[in-house]
Parts: sequence; C-alpha cells; structure tokens
Amino acid sequence: MGNSSKIKSLSKKIAASLIKNEMPNDLETSEIFDAKTKAQMLSEIKSGKYSDLLKEIDTEKDWKILERKIQQQTRKSFKFWYYGAAATVALLITIGFVFNKTNQDQDFDEPIIVNNNIKIGTDKATLTLEDGSDVILEKGQVYESNHVASNGEELVYKTSKQKQTTDNYNILTIPRGGQFYILLSDGTKVWLNSESQLKYPIAFTEGKTRQVELVYGEAYFDVSPNTEHKGAKFKVFNRSQEVEVLGTEFNIKAYKDDTNISTLLVEGKVSVSTAVENQVLVPNQQSTLNLETNKISITTVADVYNETAWRDGIFSFENKPLKEIFKVLSRWYDMDVIIENKVKTEERFIGTFNKSNSIEDILIAIKSTNFINSYEINDKTLTIK
Amino acid sequence: MRGGKDELTLETYKKLFEDLYPQLCVFAYKYLNDLDLSKDTVQEVFVKVWEDKITFQNENHATGFFYKAVKNKCLNYLKSKQYKVTERYELANLEVYDTEEYYISEAVAIETTAVIEKAINKLPEKAAQVIRLSIEDYTNNQIADELSISINTVKDHKKIAYRKLRDFLSFLTKK
Repeated sequence: MGNSSKIKSLSKKIAASLIKNEMPNDLETSEIFDAKTKAQMLSEIKSGKYSDLLKEIDTEKDWKILERKIQQQTRKSFKFWYYGAAATVALLITIGFVFNKTNQDQDFDEPIIVNNNIKIGTDKATLTLEDGSDVILEKGQVYESNHVASNGEELVYKTSKQKQTTDNYNILTIPRGGQFYILLSDGTKVWLNSESQLKYPIAFTEGKTRQVELVYGEAYFDVSPNTEHKGAKFKVFNRSQEVEVLGTEFNIKAYKDDTNISTLLVEGKVSVSTAVENQVLVPNQQSTLNLETNKISITTVADVYNETAWRDGIFSFENKPLKEIFKVLSRWYDMDVIIENKVKTEERFIGTFNKSNSIEDILIAIKSTNFINSYEINDKTLTIK
Repeated sequence: MRGGKDELTLETYKKLFEDLYPQLCVFAYKYLNDLDLSKDTVQEVFVKVWEDKITFQNENHATGFFYKAVKNKCLNYLKSKQYKVTERYELANLEVYDTEEYYISEAVAIETTAVIEKAINKLPEKAAQVIRLSIEDYTNNQIADELSISINTVKDHKKIAYRKLRDFLSFLTKK
C-alpha cells in the first residue's frame, strides 16, 4: 500500500519533535511531499487547526453505535457497503475500488501497452428483417420502414393491433462492444447488453399471449402491462426456460458461455418455468437455472441496482470475483482477456465504473488495489499479470 | 495492536477504533465538509472491515488502510450523483483530492495533531497551556506574557511536562 503505511510512524515522530520543541527532521527529509506541502502541513499542525474538531468527536458514544451495527450485521449478514449512487442513475466517474482483503506492500511493474485497439463500447446492433436481410444500426445511421424506425441508438416499433396471427419476426443482434434499446410494438421496453440476441414479432396479435425469445445474452425488460392488452400475457423464452409475465420489470442473463440462466425480478411478478419446474418470483428475488442439472434455485438480491446498472451506462460490481469482472468487461470492450495463473481471480471487489471510461482508466483503478501487479494490452488482447 | 494474521476480537477492534476514529472523522470532514456525514462514513468503513474479517500486519498497516479506505469512500460520495445535487465542491478539486500527496499530507497533519492532543491531555492544565504555546512557536518570554506568569514558571511547567511525557515520547520515537 505504499506511502499510506507511513502515516502512523511519520506522525508519531513529527509529534515527538514538536512537543520537544525540535525541528521535525522526519518531515523535512520525507520524500512523499514537496517543500510547499511540508510548510503547509507544519503550519496546520502548529496552529492546532484540527484540535477543536477532534474534541467534538465522542469516541466512546460512537463505539457503542458501531458495536450495535456490527452485532446487527453479524445476525442479518446483509450487505452493508452502500454507494451514494446506488439509488440513482448514471453520471458516475471512475471510482476507486475498495478492496476487502489484506494485501502486502510490493513492487509493481509498469503496464505494457502495445498498439491498444481496445475500444469503448457503443450503441450498435444488427437488425435482421423478416426476409432475412440485415440492417446495421449504429450512431448516425437512420433507418425507417413501414413498421419500425431507428436513429442508430434505439429501435422503435410502431404501435399496431393486428387482428390475425402473424409469423413475421425480426431479430436484433448486439455484438460484443455494443448495446441497444428497443421499444416493441406493444410498448414493452427492452435494453439489450453486449453479445445478446432478441427475437420478437413485428407486431403482436391482439388478446393473444405475447412471445419473444432472448436467444442468448442479457436483457432488461420493462413489460407493458397485460391490462393494456386485453389481458394478453407476455412470455420470454430462453433455451430451456420460460418466463411468464404480467406487466413488470426484470433482468435475464443467459450468456452463451454461462452454464446458468439468471432471472432477476425488479418489480411486479413473474413465473419462471422449465419443462418440469415452475417458480414464482417476488421483487428482489433472482432465480438461477443450472443448465447442467436443469434445477432452479432462488436467492434474494439486496440491491438490484448492481445487477441492472448496465442499462444506465454503469458497471456496478458488488463483491464480485475478479474473473467475473473481467468477463463482463470483455463483452463491453470486445477484448480477449488472459489472466495469468498467479493472479487470484477469486478475490472479490467492490467498485463502480462508468461504461464510457476507457479500459485503461478501469485497469488503473483495479491495479491501485495492488491485487494485480500489472497488465499488458496488445491489439485487442488484455493480459492481467 | 497485534501482529500476525489472526482474526480481530471485538476488544482489539475497540482499541483500534479508539486509536483512529476521531482522526479519521476529521480527515473525512476535509472532504465532505459535514461532520455527521463524516462520522457515518468512517463507521461504515469500520463495519465493512469487521464484516470482511480483514486483518492487519501492524499498526502502520492498519492506519494506512483506514485512511485510504476512508479517502476512497469520501471520493465515491463526492462523485456520486446524490452529492452532485448539492454541488458544494467543484469537480476540478476532485483530481487534487485523489492524489497520494494530498491525502497523505492531510492524513499526517491530522494524525500528528491527534498525537499531540493525546500528549497534552496527559498534562496538568497550566503545563498543557505552556506546551501548546510552545508548539505554536512562542518563545518562553512570549508564553510568560501570554499567560501572565514569570519566565521561570514557564520553564518549571516545561520541566513538569517533559517528565510526565517521558514514557509517551519514548513510545513515539521508538523504532
């Protein structure tokens, strides 16, 4: 942890010198600060500038408060580390990681950057029309047809109430390094994360169950309520899972390289089913379908914001292992990540980043925790050392 | 403070808290400009460290860890939208706040003040006043004037003070 471990010993020596009316040589010879800073520190200390504030703090009383918090914590064991940002949206700048294990002083290698081709993700997607033709959607590309329009950042289907069944489906594919927002013809809003694919009808048949398929990847659904659609339910299919909805908000995560499908309910009510099982979720509950055993387990998520912040342009990692963090980052920055064996990929971290940060900004913050020694970027490959 | 890597007991954690808490609150106050918020922030760090069963190699390691964690938490808060609504600081300041030189210089100034206060609190009232003025670079003459006592009395108080503080000073300077 570098110079921060010198705070205590340096302060004790400066205090001893000043009490004895001697020159604080340990400060004078310190290489941490420049001359101007040293002079300023000395004048702050001598003037007793902080003495009055220090006296205002009742350590005994506050220890009792803390002791209570600690004991409650032990009983409930819910997550306490709270972010000012947790309840709000966007606008975060890079934030220092807070590490949750002891680490030792060590020397660090400077990162090696060769031909850095790792780019920040953007709004982009490929729209596959009913006739099989592809339309590239990205910033600045305007597309409009009879039933759909895009400004390159979002895709909006025109409201239409069809009387008869239609088999006309469109497919929206989000590449690595992309994200997209889509408004379906029934008013349902869907945010799609990098490396995801959604298949949906151009229009829904009035009064009939609305069905879409998250072919793979991650999507956040804000479903238009069934009361506005003559009671028509909304269903999301995904591999071996089916989610039935009655107007609600939820997040489904089913990446190609994941061995499970997570469905997190933010608001309302959904039921998650497989061929053999059916579970109803209440808000803050997350179901995890293990694709190998085909079993569904339910957990409660204390802060759904961390899991759904991606659609607000934020990565919010709450107690996530390093390897999972890099998996998420690799999708948005469309990069290959190699983690060397000596790196402890199971260490857990807390941190929030804006998705508009460069990969280097994020790496610098992670490196500052001293859990990684260095990193190397070569073209589109990131190596963590 | 303990060496080794055993888990903290509540008792040792209390000692650590008593040793660092007031300074950390003042340190947080430098960033947040609100004492109650500063106390809450520091307490959250203490809860988190306890919850995660973090252990420390020694006093220096623990002190550095807590200052750094409090700094990070304060900066997180300043950068959050919740805070931006109140707009008490220019964002430009944040870059300065985030430098190692800035936060360590603040930490050392506050920590040193706390150590001095601890020493002065061990002294009788008059001796405490004399030492306080002496630290502020008052000469014996000026102290005598300020406290309306004789120079010899000033010298006597200093002697009393140094005798009382002998053990504490050797604790401060030991390697």
